Amino acid sequence: MATVATRTGRRPVRPPDRKTTTSRPAPAPRPWVLRTVTVALGVGFGATLALGVTAESWSQLHAAGGVAMFLGSMTGLAGTYLALVMVLLVSRVPVVERVLGQDRLVQAHRRLAPWPLSLIAAHVVLLTIGYAQAAHTGAWHEAGVLVGTFPDMLTATIGFALMMAIGLVSIRAIRQRIRRERWWAFHLCMYLALALSFAHVIALGPSFVNHPLTQLLWGALWLATAGSVLAYRIGLPVARTLRHRLHVVEVRHESADVVSIVLKGRRLDRLSVSGGQFFEWRFLAPGMWWQAHPFSISAVPRPPYLRLTVRGIGDFSSALRHLAPGTKVAIEGPYGTFTRHAQSRTKAVLIAGGIGVTAVRSLLEDLPRNSDPVVVLRASDADGLVLSEEVTELTRQRKGRVHELVGPRSMVSLDGLMDLVPDLMQRDVFIAGSASFVHRVVAVASRLGVADSALHFEVYEL
Amino acid sequence: MRHRAALAASTAAGFAAILALHAGAGPSTAVVAPTGSTSTTTQGAQPPSGTTRSAVGSSEQYGYGVLSVKVTVRGSRITDVSVSTLQTAESYSQSIAQQVIPILRNEVLAAQSTAVNGISGATYTTQAYLQSLQSALDALRA
Repeated sequence: MATVATRTGRRPVRPPDRKTTTSRPAPAPRPWVLRTVTVALGVGFGATLALGVTAESWSQLHAAGGVAMFLGSMTGLAGTYLALVMVLLVSRVPVVERVLGQDRLVQAHRRLAPWPLSLIAAHVVLLTIGYAQAAHTGAWHEAGVLVGTFPDMLTATIGFALMMAIGLVSIRAIRQRIRRERWWAFHLCMYLALALSFAHVIALGPSFVNHPLTQLLWGALWLATAGSVLAYRIGLPVARTLRHRLHVVEVRHESADVVSIVLKGRRLDRLSVSGGQFFEWRFLAPGMWWQAHPFSISAVPRPPYLRLTVRGIGDFSSALRHLAPGTKVAIEGPYGTFTRHAQSRTKAVLIAGGIGVTAVRSLLEDLPRNSDPVVVLRASDADGLVLSEEVTELTRQRKGRVHELVGPRSMVSLDGLMDLVPDLMQRDVFIAGSASFVHRVVAVASRLGVADSALHFEVYEL
Repeated sequence: MRHRAALAASTAAGFAAILALHAGAGPSTAVVAPTGSTSTTTQGAQPPSGTTRSAVGSSEQYGYGVLSVKVTVRGSRITDVSVSTLQTAESYSQSIAQQVIPILRNEVLAAQSTAVNGISGATYTTQAYLQSLQSALDALRA
């Protein structure tokens, strides 16, 4: 059985047949999941809006404050529904994550965010105005009455303030000025903000008061969302961590700032992960245990070993160089769609920028023999070409070709990149690297007419 | 994008489904519309004019409390509506009820039926009041 560190000290790069000595690849994504989820979310949204409309009447609208109260109800319903969607987007439901990928889900979460936040803010303002008009008092006085005397409104107000604060702090300009761990801890309080706001909807919403069935359905929706988070965001990662009990066995220095971390675990043959995927890794060492960081695996797991390769850029990744063997590791994942499953054409070209080689290296292992891959490794200096011997050997076994583009950006242009690739149109284009690298290569490829369906990328947030 | 179309279509479908369900279930718990829905006026068997009779309506439990009214009818005219039971969940509902009930009483006496405007911010109080009143009127007619 091949192991990562052999007695002769030679690193074995000839991967045996995947089926017998490595773990299973990740399950294939099911495209119909996306369509089903989209339709379900749409139906739920329409139904929620209709709940608000059917609870209204003409006499109510004509009365003082009626219009403001109606709009306040509608914005509250719509905003809360979208807030639940926000939670679901990042609850890492496996069937959805396999189709969209964690990075696209997080991106959708960020792009959707302004909507529930502004709808709920509008809800607060409109209902305060509406109630004030109905009671013929000033808005500020009415706000005090609402918060002070209405059932469940004090907790809802605290939840609202917390939600707005979290939203504010998540604006990119502000987020970038705060330490990532502090921002993250504060962001997780959104669960609390939502929990605090649940009761006032049932107690006060016209769609819910005296409508036990609607209350039940709304409660079921919240329960399902909470269940999703508990099961997939927390439960599944904890179960996998406990099952595999990964710990550090070796920290190998690949170059001045790059290390490979070899982990050992049990029952890794049961860990279904494809080359090109990543985990969120939590190293249980002092000063590191409260942070989880995403890194791609740099080789398909060979039970009982698992490897990741990391470039030291910030405090955390630099600290990884000094990881003590025996350090336990908690995992979340595997995540990512930068895998063989994404292929829609017969052949592939894999383009790695700098440390992007890690995803390319593990993805390469999953490509079948004789698949003639073209691999391009881009690095700003020779030191940056980590894992290149492994990549070369793996590519050679697949009857493919490796091109190394080394040199500073001023001297090496990416414009002619695709000239290196014969029959580009018959290939899937896999690109891994920093955001700017990926964007530049995608631009070159698109200009040459490569279809979007053939482009797959893994952006390394450095 | 294809997904946008699917989202829009499914939202419309969900919206329509709830509207259909709501219409099918009947406006049983909806606000009484001014053009009259389930309520009827005091028509039917007329007692001899000049007789004053009264009846207490059903106890209506609404989200915020319990309300029942007593109606006094002279001949075919509603001459008075008063509160028989009023228990509210909390103080705000109490104050709403106290503000709203006199207004409702005036409107009922003016309209001589339960077909009156709802009062914004007191939807459920209004509804309970009118339902209790209607049951009292039905009892008187029977």
